[in-house]
Amino acid sequence: MPNLREIDTQCAASLGLAPPNPRLAEENVRGYVVFLSAHFQGFCRDLYAESAQVLVARVRRSLQLVFQAQFIAQHALDHGNPNLQNLKRDFSRFGFNLELATDPANTIRLQHLAALNEWRNIAAHHGVVPAGGLPSVATLRDWWNSCDGLATAQDRIMYNELRRLLRRQPWPP
Amino acid sequence: MATRADREKQSWNLGDRVRLRYSNWVGRIVEFRGPLGPGGAQIYRIEVESDPEPIYTEVREDQLIRLPLEK
Repeated sequence: MPNLREIDTQCAASLGLAPPNPRLAEENVRGYVVFLSAHFQGFCRDLYAESAQVLVARVRRSLQLVFQAQFIAQHALDHGNPNLQNLKRDFSRFGFNLELATDPANTIRLQHLAALNEWRNIAAHHGVVPAGGLPSVATLRDWWNSCDGLATAQDRIMYNELRRLLRRQPWPP
Repeated sequence: MATRADREKQSWNLGDRVRLRYSNWVGRIVEFRGPLGPGGAQIYRIEVESDPEPIYTEVREDQLIRLPLEK
């Protein structure tokens, strides 16, 4: 993820400027937040699309378009934040509940995701920064790690669910 | 030197008019989604002309039939 690393480096550098430039630092933090959220959203969209195409490939060719269109109709991740509600809503179309919260390791990750989405809206809509101030680079890195962990967990859940449905590996493990 | 992925991508452009196989749906390519299909097949997001609002779908390259550009 070179782009995320670059913005991480830029953000850390702008926070360490002497003399400090608070406005530049704030803009970089806002950019980091939006970019991280978009990156995670992109992963979720791709996993959803890949899973849908694997299933569609098992349908008669003349019917595939019907299923492809239905998978995309009202797709929350196309426009909404990648929050737990939207993830569960979209992935429920595969016929199961995306139970990320049942894994204790995901508890803190989901809290981080909720915080990331809250800050994403503040950053993207130029909302007022709460009294506690902007998230630090260390916090943003924690959120990044949590997104990585949730991405791995989602990928594992989808792999297992699709393998159960298809009775074969959906993609190389 | 173009990679295989580059060459595949170059065969279609954003905005290309297409018809979708096994249907009378006509639309435009609005996004390259990447190699997300089975076996790494390229997936394209298509905006299908429809009333009152367009329909979106995501299909493999082998489901696309190129149409001439409108004049």
